[in-house]
Amino acid sequence: MTEQKKKDAVFTSQLQDNTETLDGILEFSTDLLRREFVIHADSNRHGICYLTDGLVSNTDIQLILKTLLLYGQAINGNWQQSLDSFEQIKQQLMVNCSIRTVTKLDDGINGILSGETLVLLDGYAEGLLITTKAWESRSITEPATDTVVRGPRDGFTENIRTNTSLVRKRIKDPQFRLEAMVVGNKTRTDINIAYMKGTVKDGLVEEVRQRLQKIDIDGVLESGYIEELIEDAPLSVFSTIASTERPDKVASALLEGRVAIFVDNTPFVLLLPTFFWQFFQASDDYYSRYWVGSFFRIVRYIAFLISLMLPSLYVMLVSFHQEMIPSMLAFTIASGREVVPFPVLVEAIMMELAFELMREAGLRMPKPVGQAVSIVGSLIIGQAAVQAGLVSPFMVIVVAVTGIASFAIPNYSASIAIRLLRFPLLIASGMLGLLGFAAVFFMVVIHALSIRSFGESYLAPAAPFRPSDQKDIVLRFPWWSIKRPPSFSKEQRRQGKNTMPKPSGGQSGGPERG
Amino acid sequence: MALIMNVMYAKAIGITQGIIGREVNSDMWLSTVLGILQGVAVAYIVAKLMQYAPEFSMVEMAGKLIGTWAGKGIAVLIFLFFLGTFATVMVTFVYHLMDYFLPEAPTILFVVAALMVGLYGAYHGLEVMSRMAFVGVFSMLTLNILVLFGSVREMDVRNILPVMDSGLVPTLWASRHFDTDWAFAVMLIALLLPHVKRSARLARVSAVSVGLAGISIVMWPIMESTVLSAEATSQYIVACMQLARSAHIGLFLHRYEMIMIAFFATSSLIQVMMCLFCASLSASKLLGLKDYRPMLLPTGAILGAFAYWIVADHMRAMEFTAHQWPLISLPIVLGLPLVIGILYLFFKDKLKANQTPS
Repeated sequence: MTEQKKKDAVFTSQLQDNTETLDGILEFSTDLLRREFVIHADSNRHGICYLTDGLVSNTDIQLILKTLLLYGQAINGNWQQSLDSFEQIKQQLMVNCSIRTVTKLDDGINGILSGETLVLLDGYAEGLLITTKAWESRSITEPATDTVVRGPRDGFTENIRTNTSLVRKRIKDPQFRLEAMVVGNKTRTDINIAYMKGTVKDGLVEEVRQRLQKIDIDGVLESGYIEELIEDAPLSVFSTIASTERPDKVASALLEGRVAIFVDNTPFVLLLPTFFWQFFQASDDYYSRYWVGSFFRIVRYIAFLISLMLPSLYVMLVSFHQEMIPSMLAFTIASGREVVPFPVLVEAIMMELAFELMREAGLRMPKPVGQAVSIVGSLIIGQAAVQAGLVSPFMVIVVAVTGIASFAIPNYSASIAIRLLRFPLLIASGMLGLLGFAAVFFMVVIHALSIRSFGESYLAPAAPFRPSDQKDIVLRFPWWSIKRPPSFSKEQRRQGKNTMPKPSGGQSGGPERG
Repeated sequence: MALIMNVMYAKAIGITQGIIGREVNSDMWLSTVLGILQGVAVAYIVAKLMQYAPEFSMVEMAGKLIGTWAGKGIAVLIFLFFLGTFATVMVTFVYHLMDYFLPEAPTILFVVAALMVGLYGAYHGLEVMSRMAFVGVFSMLTLNILVLFGSVREMDVRNILPVMDSGLVPTLWASRHFDTDWAFAVMLIALLLPHVKRSARLARVSAVSVGLAGISIVMWPIMESTVLSAEATSQYIVACMQLARSAHIGLFLHRYEMIMIAFFATSSLIQVMMCLFCASLSASKLLGLKDYRPMLLPTGAILGAFAYWIVADHMRAMEFTAHQWPLISLPIVLGLPLVIGILYLFFKDKLKANQTPS
């Protein structure tokens, strides 16, 4: 049977024909189970259940069989007269809460492979798909990325329904909408588009839906696939779609008028539109006092600048513009470099690559070994390299500070993007000094200015400048001062007027003394 | 607004001030002030003129008024204007970086680097360049604050006394050098009006932009005169770099001109981008193309070759910037709107009949 014919094939009223077709398609996979039964002894009506072992709940299967075998037998008189369609069986016999009838074979097969149980009865040109999904999954734990000092500890899991429920638990509003889609011709991965109706900008959900519908791929194994297939700037090093493992972050994004895309089998949920500055915002900025949140955000911006520019500036100054270094500092650097045989650019590239090597090795190794690799790499090799005169102590400091700064950026993909950009900037600075640095830096800025995320400028609200959105970019203003959501949201109001707390009634505050 | 401010800034704070200083000594700041007033007036008048047909640029307006070939003639003239402007912009960019930071690097390297960034920016269009210009305004302000902070203790007001020492007429005549800086902005207004969203406010916005740019520029001749003295300023091609060199914060940070040049580069590179964009736009009008992008590379090659020829020789560069360019650019920037204005008076019915831009 050709693929198209298989898709279009429908169930017939002959059970034997249906089982032969299904068996022909499914063949003999060991995890595919079939259970034959006789539902009504008087009319000798045969039936069969198809299910996938490991994806279904045994309790649910037993309930289905019990219903059909015990309650089915109890039906008096002519079976066909009592229950002449699957709709009636569904309404009058079955006790499971989620059941649907299907007429196409393809729908039945997809149901079986997704953890549903397909029930076929002789004499009915339909099938009953009963939801019996249950499989082993990881429990809700603290996210591995996006960790916080203060804030909720629950993180998404690989189960899409668990993930949506974690957000639903936070937003008990009927306007919170979830739309289901299936993407991937072979994996048939479940996808949910989440948004707040009335808050999300007109056309954004339609745009997301359209881009998802355009995806024509055999499989989607992680949300990274979706991210790459729907993003605005596919050639850019910058990520224009954010991902998170935190339900509170998704809930917050939805309240601001963003759209979230949940993908089954991954704890990473996509958020869009995304702005560059979002990558410097951590969840606990909003849970800590605003002074603290703002301070740490400024620290992260400094970390971003260090991470991007420090090695380039060092190489540029030492190679070309020594006169710009304050005298005492220049002497210190020169004394450290006295025995180093390499040009400073080569030294910097070597050290940066060594750092990336250690980072990658530490990440891939089992945790205890990974720590050992980091310690050996950073302390022993670094010290030995300096003592052997291969690198200068100042370069070790520069690379170490740059590495630490890159880890201070809360979002991993942003941190990686900055790490990638560091290399062309470094090479240009080392070869052309200030000219190279300026040329590459401005090209990066122009590129960042030119890209968009689902219709929104990537560098907004800084460029284009939106005065009303400045309360949550460089600084985190107090909650009582943020009166409305960001300007890309359709919602105009976030909280009422005069929400700044103050003591009730009294001028000096505190309870009155009797 | 940000674009107008940026295209005036980079050359006006250094190269122009050195040239003015050589003519009127300590009255260079007065000459700049007079230039600003002229710029505000011309920008307002040109923007007002363009508002009569806001859907057309100056080239399109000329085409509608007196025929396609006349429009093409205007396009050639505007292309030549940007060819010359690009050369002066490159004089500013190259000499800032080459003379003060990379004296041994070949000149062609600077021209090619500027062209690459400029073409990349121009390719992304006016929206991206406008956003970049916003960053440029921030850079201008930072640069001004930095230099003020590092120089304020060295300022000696006696260096600009007596005021109007050179006399009114020479001071006014010297302002022609600053006029070439706002000429770029005025030509921008004439070309880009159809791309502006709220064109009804253009005249006021244009005049205010030139005024604001002037305010951020005029502090440079004042500081250069009061810190370095007019005599010292006039000895340098890039006077502002000399001022930046003398600036220091405390004992440890005794030289920070590289930080300043990083901010200066934003404005300078926006000038490069805008020159390439406007020249490509006029070249596309000349050839009747709807998109300017196909003209970017040939335009870049022509502008780059001419600019390289100019900047390769310091004497030639300064001769062109100080003596020839004001006499070429000002007749174009003042004459074109005048001619278009007169033509509009006679043929305005014809223009109104043409609703869609060519």
